[in-house]
Amino acid sequence: MFKGLKTTAVGLTTAAIMAGAAYANPYEEYAGTTLIVNFPAHPHYNAAMKVLPEFTKETGIEVEVDQLPYLKMRERQTLELAQDEGEYDLISYVVFSKADYVFADQLENLAKYFMNPKLADPNYDAGDLIDGYVENIGVAGGFKGYLPGPTGSLFGIPFGSETSVLAYRKDIFEKHGIPTPENYDQLLDAACKIPEVEPGMGGMASRAASGHQASHAFLLHLAPLGGRVFDDAWNPIINNAAGVEAANALKTIVDCGPEGAMSFGPSEAANAFASGQAAMFMDSIAFMPGFEDPERSQVVGKVGYAMHPEGVRRGSQTGGFGIGIPKNAENKEAAFLLMQWLTSKKGDLMVAMEGGNPSRFSTYQDAGLNEKYPFASTFGEALKFADPDWRPIIPVWGKINADIGTTMSKVLTEDLDIQEALDGVAERTRAVMDDAGYYTWQ
Amino acid sequence: MRTAMANRLTPYMFMAPAAIIMAIALMYPLGYMVWGSFRDWNPSQTIGEAEFVGLKNYIFLWNDPNFHESLGVTLRFAFFVVTIEMVIGVGLALLLDREIRGISLLRTMFILPMMIAPVVVGLMWRYMYHPTVGTFNRFLDSIGLPRVDWLGDYALTSVIIADIWQWTPFIFILSLAALQSLPRSALEAARIDGATGWQQIIHIKLPLMMPVLIVTALLRLIDAFKVLEVILVMTEGGPGLSTEILALRISRTATEFRELGVAAAMSNYLLILLLLLTVGMFAFNRWQEARAARLNALVEEES
Amino acid sequence: MSTPNSRANPAFYAVIALLVFMSVGPVILMFMNSFKLDVDIISGTSGLIFMPTIQNYEQALCDVLWYEPEHLDFCSLKFGGAFINSLIIALISTALTLVIGCMAAYALVRFRFMGRDTVSLSTLMVRMVPPAVLLVPVFGLWNNEFCLDRDGIIGGAIRDAFGGRGDVCLAGTHSGIILIYVAMNLPFVIWILQSFIVQVPRSLEEAARVDGAGPFQVFFKVVLPLIKPGLAAAAIFTFRIAWNEYLLASALSDRDTRTVPILIVNNMSEFNVEWGVIMATGMLLAIPPIIFTLLASRQIITGMTAGAVKG
Repeated sequence: MFKGLKTTAVGLTTAAIMAGAAYANPYEEYAGTTLIVNFPAHPHYNAAMKVLPEFTKETGIEVEVDQLPYLKMRERQTLELAQDEGEYDLISYVVFSKADYVFADQLENLAKYFMNPKLADPNYDAGDLIDGYVENIGVAGGFKGYLPGPTGSLFGIPFGSETSVLAYRKDIFEKHGIPTPENYDQLLDAACKIPEVEPGMGGMASRAASGHQASHAFLLHLAPLGGRVFDDAWNPIINNAAGVEAANALKTIVDCGPEGAMSFGPSEAANAFASGQAAMFMDSIAFMPGFEDPERSQVVGKVGYAMHPEGVRRGSQTGGFGIGIPKNAENKEAAFLLMQWLTSKKGDLMVAMEGGNPSRFSTYQDAGLNEKYPFASTFGEALKFADPDWRPIIPVWGKINADIGTTMSKVLTEDLDIQEALDGVAERTRAVMDDAGYYTWQ
Repeated sequence: MRTAMANRLTPYMFMAPAAIIMAIALMYPLGYMVWGSFRDWNPSQTIGEAEFVGLKNYIFLWNDPNFHESLGVTLRFAFFVVTIEMVIGVGLALLLDREIRGISLLRTMFILPMMIAPVVVGLMWRYMYHPTVGTFNRFLDSIGLPRVDWLGDYALTSVIIADIWQWTPFIFILSLAALQSLPRSALEAARIDGATGWQQIIHIKLPLMMPVLIVTALLRLIDAFKVLEVILVMTEGGPGLSTEILALRISRTATEFRELGVAAAMSNYLLILLLLLTVGMFAFNRWQEARAARLNALVEEES
Repeated sequence: MSTPNSRANPAFYAVIALLVFMSVGPVILMFMNSFKLDVDIISGTSGLIFMPTIQNYEQALCDVLWYEPEHLDFCSLKFGGAFINSLIIALISTALTLVIGCMAAYALVRFRFMGRDTVSLSTLMVRMVPPAVLLVPVFGLWNNEFCLDRDGIIGGAIRDAFGGRGDVCLAGTHSGIILIYVAMNLPFVIWILQSFIVQVPRSLEEAARVDGAGPFQVFFKVVLPLIKPGLAAAAIFTFRIAWNEYLLASALSDRDTRTVPILIVNNMSEFNVEWGVIMATGMLLAIPPIIFTLLASRQIITGMTAGAVKG
């Protein structure tokens, strides 16, 4: 009885507020809610952590963040999303998780939120979001199932999306008259020339650790050198000439790299560059603001930024994270509001100013940002060539990725014959694909 | 009548909690694992939803080169770790078997590495092995030697060294205890007969210590198959698969590759391997014990 | 066994000094590094001379500090909470294991309704099972099978009392982790305690029984006090495993029940390798075992020898 009265009272107050201030504050209804979000430990999200208090101040919605390293985060989500009722209201997911989650019907389709006039901000300006990112991270159901197309729809919004650029030591390159690498020949030449002319310094620091990291490093070179993991009929072509060339490139880079290169993860590689042990570093733009931070970097001001060198084509990676709402979330609408706020023009700029990676064209053109981070313009340029299909995003990718990563690491450490190793990967990949039913229609 | 009944029930009441807990948290899971190993099972399914695939997981592993490599790494790791630790540990015990002032303080120092969390041990060694800031390479730098890529080129060796650091004291302390409880009469007799130090060690001390040494080695061997955290933190199994011991591969298969069925089958292979080793060692131990008893009697008789 | 001339041998003491240095050195190294700034650790110019700082500890413990450290923008390491989780889990599981193990060991020794050989053999068998082998089944069972329906009476009551969502499962709770630790440690504890209980004179128990004490009273009032050293040894070993374990805890814990080893492993990976903070967290994890070692090394050695020699 009492409880009933209370509910009515609450309902009445809410109604009164709604009626009284219909346009004043769309967040009012959700004030006091606590959202539980799952973010990766990643520079972009560290930047986002700094602006979250602003969101709470503005909207009254509390946010509790569970920050995990991204591979751990993915493990956690696998478990959490499979429950009937989950803990997380908003999750950040790695690009290649998109396929898993959408396929298992674990992410909310965002259409119904953008259709809801009470939730959708009319000034959101979705056209300003960088197309390649939205296609790569947010959309599923179109071409090949994981790319956009007439049958695709939106499941997430890019937040912390990345492409690859080349960071190099301007001082070292000038000192020895080495040109800034424009293509792969120059890149590999420079990588092996530097240890000769600059003793104690490695050419390029790259990821190479067994598993995901080695696979990532290999795929990074595969796309620009003209390769693909699959052809259009899902036949593995990873072992063609381009594949071998990409593996060779990676091997050359690691061999001429700094000490300990074979066991580098991204953080070790970035640290090696930041402490002056390597003259080049080609990876996600997420790492680059760290090189301009005097507390963590010994190369502040000496770093030049260039586009990912050209092989037979330009093709820098697209990666990073998107944010989406789990099907089993408790506060989906409030979660959408947070998502919209973070990726709005204002939110995107705020996060970028704290060192995050923008997902909007307007942010890259912002004068304040370009002043604070001089490389912002290069990144904006690099984005034009970002390749949304540099790695397939299909549910069985985890398995194939692990295989490529382990094999590639063996190539680097045990001197396996590259062609043979890649043939093995192709053969096993074909079996995996066959198992998953990709050849059913052939 | 009632007391008699109560008395007969008492042992069962004392045993019940332990039995129940071990049944639901050890035996049932092990059975569950065997059952799961016949299924194509991923972490977001319950076991009932997973498809029954018969022996497929076992056959897959039997032919999987990565599994073979990981098995090889495990066996190599276990073999070297146990052998080297036994040699150093027993050697030190023989060397230091004398009155030492402050022996209890020394023992305290020696058991410290064993008590610290494996995670922390891995972390300390990862730092010391670090290619540039690590202690070892700094030391090499300072005496003008070239640096060594510890966790890259010599990953397995480096991991073995860390384990030796942590566990040699275990063997040292156990063998010291065994050594100090040897029958003095036998040693006296040998000394009177004019046996040299070496002869005493080889003909008297080692054979008499043997039963304890065997058990110690067996315990270390079992534990060597359990090592996971130290390696996980130091190398995460890399580079390549060079340090990916089975325990680590099981955990990666389950969490990273999301193949619970395969992981369960792998767990079973590991269990069978361990079972064989244990039973073998146990039988050997029995045989040795009998032999040592005979030897003991012989020595007693002679003295 | 000592020969007079070896006592003053300087080489002998040099060996001992070297051994001590080797076994304690890394711990001291970690201790010192935990008080250094990352810049100092990486630059490496300063070996012993540096400005000690507690920044690393502040960052590690930021969620339980009463003030906000100036050098932090936000608190990402919830280390204080994890420390409390670790304490709860380790202490409760140690206490439970001891009580249950003690009772079982007593029954096995005194009542002889099952051969001791069988027990010691099966103890060895269970001890042989690596935690990694338990990972898959425990993960599956704790998440899916050992659950109470949310709409059921007990499950509903738990959800009303503690909040949370979904069915009430063992995974993600302290009890879930405690249960598996108790089960893992029981065989070893039973094994060790047996050897101590055997030494309790039967006559004492008989006397108590004549005075009218029931079997439980005899156990708690007579036997328990006499086997204190054994209990101490067993307690230290159980606590050590429960405190240090990573793998199963990481599979079973959720956001609120993470233990310290999980946080350390999580923070090893990825972006900035912040050695200072990692060393500080490692130090915090190592402190309880170090204290135990210093206070109770005698019991530890007793436990070790009992565990090995009684094979």
